[in-house]
Amino acid sequence: MIKQRALVVEALTAVGLVAAPFVLPGLGFTPTTINRILVWGMFGIGFDILFGFTGLLSFGQSAFFGTGGMVAAYLLTVASFPYVTAALALGAIATSIVGYVVGLIALRRTGIYFAMITVAIAEVFFFVEFNPLSDLTGGENGLPGVPPPAIFLGFTTIHFDSDALLYAFLAFWYFVGMVIALRIVRSPVGAVLRAIRDNPTRAAAVGHDVHGYKMTAFVVAAAYAGFAGGLLGLMQGFMPPDAFMFETSGQLVMQTAIGGAGTLVGPLVGAAVWLYLSDFLQTTLHLGAAWKLVLGVIFVLLVCFLRRGLIGGIEDLYRLLTRSRKKAEPGEDAPMAGAAMQNAQKAATAHLACPPAIAAMPARQRGTDRRTGPILQANRLTKRYGGITANCGIDFAVNHGELRGIIGPNGAGKTTFFKMLTCEVPPSSGRILFEGVDITGMRMTDVCQLGLTKSYQINQLFNRLTVRENLTIAALADLRGKFRLDLFKSLRSVPGLTGQVGHTLELVDLVQRADTPVSDLAYGEKRRLEVGLALATSPSLLLLDEPLAGMSPRERLETVRLLKSIARGRTMIIIDHDVDSLFELVERVTVLQEGRVLVEGTLDQIKGNSRVQEAYLGGVHRMLAAE
Amino acid sequence: MNLLEVTRLNTYYGDSHILFDVALHVERKEVVALLGRNGAGKSTTLKSLMGVVTPREGSIVFDGVEIAGSKSHSIARAGMQLVHEDRRIFGSLNVEENLVLAGLTSENRWPLERIYAMFPQLKERRTSRGTDLSGGEQQMLAIARALIRDPKIILLDEPFEGLAPVIVRDLVKACRDLADAGQTMILVEQNLPAALTLANRAYIINNGHIAHEAPTSALKARPKVLERYLGV
Amino acid sequence: MINWANFISQCFNGLVLGALLALISSGLTIIYGTLGVLNLAHGAMFMLGGYAGWLAYSYTSSFVAAVCAGALFGMIVGVLVERVIIRHFYNRPHEDQLLVTFGLGIIFVETVRFFFGSLSKTVSPPPPLAGITSLGFMLYPTYRLALLGIVAVALLALYLTLYRTRIGMIVRAGIEDAVMVDALGIDVYKVFMLVFGIGAMAAGFAGIVNAPVVSIAPDVGEAILVQTFVVVVIGGVGSFPGAILGGLIAGEIISITSMFNPGYAYVMLFVAMTLVLVLRPYGLLGTAGRE
Repeated sequence: MIKQRALVVEALTAVGLVAAPFVLPGLGFTPTTINRILVWGMFGIGFDILFGFTGLLSFGQSAFFGTGGMVAAYLLTVASFPYVTAALALGAIATSIVGYVVGLIALRRTGIYFAMITVAIAEVFFFVEFNPLSDLTGGENGLPGVPPPAIFLGFTTIHFDSDALLYAFLAFWYFVGMVIALRIVRSPVGAVLRAIRDNPTRAAAVGHDVHGYKMTAFVVAAAYAGFAGGLLGLMQGFMPPDAFMFETSGQLVMQTAIGGAGTLVGPLVGAAVWLYLSDFLQTTLHLGAAWKLVLGVIFVLLVCFLRRGLIGGIEDLYRLLTRSRKKAEPGEDAPMAGAAMQNAQKAATAHLACPPAIAAMPARQRGTDRRTGPILQANRLTKRYGGITANCGIDFAVNHGELRGIIGPNGAGKTTFFKMLTCEVPPSSGRILFEGVDITGMRMTDVCQLGLTKSYQINQLFNRLTVRENLTIAALADLRGKFRLDLFKSLRSVPGLTGQVGHTLELVDLVQRADTPVSDLAYGEKRRLEVGLALATSPSLLLLDEPLAGMSPRERLETVRLLKSIARGRTMIIIDHDVDSLFELVERVTVLQEGRVLVEGTLDQIKGNSRVQEAYLGGVHRMLAAE
Repeated sequence: MNLLEVTRLNTYYGDSHILFDVALHVERKEVVALLGRNGAGKSTTLKSLMGVVTPREGSIVFDGVEIAGSKSHSIARAGMQLVHEDRRIFGSLNVEENLVLAGLTSENRWPLERIYAMFPQLKERRTSRGTDLSGGEQQMLAIARALIRDPKIILLDEPFEGLAPVIVRDLVKACRDLADAGQTMILVEQNLPAALTLANRAYIINNGHIAHEAPTSALKARPKVLERYLGV
Repeated sequence: MINWANFISQCFNGLVLGALLALISSGLTIIYGTLGVLNLAHGAMFMLGGYAGWLAYSYTSSFVAAVCAGALFGMIVGVLVERVIIRHFYNRPHEDQLLVTFGLGIIFVETVRFFFGSLSKTVSPPPPLAGITSLGFMLYPTYRLALLGIVAVALLALYLTLYRTRIGMIVRAGIEDAVMVDALGIDVYKVFMLVFGIGAMAAGFAGIVNAPVVSIAPDVGEAILVQTFVVVVIGGVGSFPGAILGGLIAGEIISITSMFNPGYAYVMLFVAMTLVLVLRPYGLLGTAGRE
């Protein structure tokens, strides 16, 4: 929604902000409420980047809200610092630094641990603010006497001391905040954040420094919170301690969920609903203290039934209405049985009839590339789990341009061996060399940056993104390295991105489906995207884990053809149980048995090899001979 | 009437199509083997029968009752038991607790003594925690846990995998005794000699399809079939 | 110069608080261990137990009745919450589970505030347990001593239930492998309901039993929730022994720090939590794989 048609959202925001003071009072909003909504909206922009876009649910944003507010208020009151904007900026900067330090602790874990840690952080900050630092923060009284903002224009000074002028000040900063956030969200960093939300494992596997990006989002959210805290102090004329309360974090979370996470403007909408209702319920309906109960019930109902908040609900309604006019197309969430599936299968059949003939995309030249010697070499690779030795002393080498298959009967240790080659699992002993570089114990992110990438047996896609967006994520890691703080560049400005994505689309034959969301793809198409993600990182060595898993006979033929076409000019190692199909693809085969290499050779050598047959049939011939 | 009648079974993991129109039947007191390479869909078939994975399409009629789509606990109460390929005994419980827990909801549960008579090694280790057992003992416990419920059919998923030959020999003998006593079983096993010894009849699964069905005597007479689907 | 009598008194307080936190955290941790859901309404359930008990006490003047009411009400709330709401969230992302339990917590707190107001209410300890006891070297509030005993008994009861009864066996197996429990003929959703009930009961019991010490108010749950989280992170998620160890550590840290400067209690707690996160990421007694 935010991606296409740049400047439309900015323009709409500007229009909204200009119109609001004329429209909203008529609906029952008091000027103070409107100003409060703006402050919460600003607070929420950063939180939405953290939660809505990166998927990190933090209950601790009050810590940063309060910190920024206190720093700004302290500068303006106790320290008699005269420049309001600079004080706000300093508050935000100080909060960013605090956010970085806190992030070092909180981001060590994910999921519920992260949530618990952020709750603890909120409480600690509150207590520190309340007691040990009460000299600086005013303890339970807060810091009074924050002056209204003022701008020196040389010949005169504008004091933003009326509600209307204050609104203008706040609206201006909200607009600035929104514009910055939109740039961030549309930048390569924004794309990576979305990928992390959907599938952090895959984001790391295609070469992104996930921790660095999470930290970026965390600090950005802290900065916004800090700035908003400063605005709160200015708006109220004093900086209250309840900015630090856990309740503040909770309110932010609820408002964002009510408005809709991942929209940037959701927190503003949620704040408007929250504050309006709290006024309405208390004054008009005379519910007194029960207003929060009603809001709590509304919140729970929304979480249960309207999963993407009010804005999401409106979007769904819009889509439902426009779709009812187009009768031929199924709904976006319709099960695959039906028109969508038929379309997808027709497409699949058509592709089978005329396979794509595309020039191989050359793997990107890297500084570490060399043409002599094996591209991948493993020396005495061993893996032990407790008392069990899964792999023992395996020596293995693959040359440039080779297509190698790895097979073996049950218990051979193929999966473990493969995981060591892809660096998902470190070996217990032994070495792995890639282009002569020792990669033993390296992480997948770094190995992918060197040119070794894997495609997964079970699809690891970025499910909420389109095909094109998926491939963009992978290409971004290749073109930008594992971490770059290009928050304000647009995606278009990344050199070579469109070309790389376009070429990968052609290679895996998904050009027609480029702008389809993953959820609408047929299984075969998802598998092609899965391989495409690996291809888009320009690997010099591609490791394919069970590329034929879960496929119908027709899909197998199609996939073998596809893999053959992308194999040109590339080195690939493939593991698969479908030995018949695998033998269509590869030239050389390594056979493992009981954790060791049994034999290695060309297809003909393996097919005729009686020891291999024995390994697979487990001594049946001996048994039959004995009977 | 067959004890188990499966028709047109289609199972998916997400939208990955694993089983394609699988059909098989098992008569009372039979031991049927499911053979095939890794990843062919043998384990998925057993899991579909037991309700651990819900099949998307197809019919599973067990002792006259349709069970496709039912929850695992109802299927267990109907008299089916699955011995998982990774055994899945409760490591934090001891041997006896594992057995008692398994028998709790079974009306005809075996008395503990009967289990211990069959697996004396388990009796020796009755107070050892699951995590302290050896591989062979864990496998024994997994089988015993299924037996204690006096099931009409036991599904065994690779029971001999990863065990020393001596232990495999003992387990095969135990299964042989069970079969002789009339226990109906489906056996998924890559250890072909063991499978062919125990089973009366075998299905071969290849890439999620049933590729072949024959009595084990026929398979032993013509090992070419085995080489074709299980070899290289 | 440390006042030794004061110090020992604080250590005792730490023990009492620690035992209480251990009990509440056990409830939270077995819910997470079995269901995989972090119950953000756990503090609210603690608060509800306190109010239920207080109501019962007002009507019956029997402390025993109050304790039973608190525990029972906690269990009922837990069972209802699982049955009506949580059950539909097992397949939804973790964030949604956090949001819904958080929202439920707010609803509970605000409902109590609506009916009973925001002011705290005192609950007097039962007459035989009121007053001061002389322990020779120091004087200590009798009720707190009794509280230590009561909570210790409750923890013991929880331990015995988990490790010596059939139900407990099922719960422990469910924490390890819920799917397998189902495959052995036991309806695992019933197990989930029971576990949620037990966890909530532990919180509710703690709520009424602690009421004579801190009074009850709609907001008491919030502080408890935070402390519970720290305990669980320190002890290890899903581990009952971890909850006990973590509880005792946290209790002592809070009490001893309060002796010097109450404001720093939370800071020290947080420092301890950070240390554990850095040195032993899965908690002192936790196991990997429980995210």
